[in-house]
Amino acid sequence: MNQTDIALLREIEKGLPLVSEPFDELGDRLHLSGAEVLERLRCLRVEGVIRKITVRINQRQIGITANAMVAWKIPEGWNPVEYSRFASFPGVSHCYVRTPVPSRWEYTLYTVHHGYSRDRVLTEISTLAQETRISDYIVLFSTEEFKRVPAVRIGENGGDLT
Amino acid sequence: MKLLDVLQDDVPLVPRPWAVIADRLGINENEVLERLGRLQETGIIRGVSPVLESRRLGLRAATLVALRVPGSRVREIARIISSYPEVSHNYRRDHAYSIWFTLAAPTDERIGEVLAEILERTGISEEDVLNLPTLQKYKIDVRFSCCPDRDEVESREPD
Repeated sequence: MNQTDIALLREIEKGLPLVSEPFDELGDRLHLSGAEVLERLRCLRVEGVIRKITVRINQRQIGITANAMVAWKIPEGWNPVEYSRFASFPGVSHCYVRTPVPSRWEYTLYTVHHGYSRDRVLTEISTLAQETRISDYIVLFSTEEFKRVPAVRIGENGGDLT
Repeated sequence: MKLLDVLQDDVPLVPRPWAVIADRLGINENEVLERLGRLQETGIIRGVSPVLESRRLGLRAATLVALRVPGSRVREIARIISSYPEVSHNYRRDHAYSIWFTLAAPTDERIGEVLAEILERTGISEEDVLNLPTLQKYKIDVRFSCCPDRDEVESREPD
């Protein structure tokens, strides 16, 4: 990846232009041809820098107002292969394993759920608990969103990127 | 809303991607562009953009932090937290630990610095902090069902 790629990512993260030939438009801004823009983006995709190009939805605006993170206490000796049962459970958007805080916070597995109502989300979570037989968990509904941006932003934290 | 479902797939890297998406939906390119413009104006979407792989871009350390904060200070403290570019997600949650945010940086040292600075600026003591570093990601694929069944829409809670 070079400076031109960084400049291109910085431009495209503002949003793919809503015109018939958006890569030509991006190219115009960077003095590249549309074909070169496409070629560079394909390379970044193959190299795994770009995971995918997709729409960013404001879920609250389409009625998905119940958003919960669940912290699960996983018993010792649990087979890590089982984590995939959480990750692949329908409705789970994120699944992470995290370091606990001994004696204060023993939860190690985190899932994120979204729904049109709290009841729906709670039903989904209790089904997941039954299927995995993990009964010690805390449901943390979000009540206010202070910040939500992509974790990787070239424009904002691009200075250190290699 | 079908458009939003299709757009949550990977947008194709071809000269006229909107035309390809239009074909998939059996509508024309102009209609796709008009609908997207409207969805953006009304704030339903924040645009179409790439999802970047943090580790490939030098962000090798990440954590989730929870703070036990009195209700009266939540907003003031949340504002300070959100001002850091290393913070990507910051929420108030229904719990004694009322503020939850994610931090990502090139190194663990940088994460430690940012966290220490936040605690210093807000006067929060260590015993009111949970620092939960990411060990492994099993899934990071936000995907919303934009065609809810009728029953789901009807049981929707007020905002």
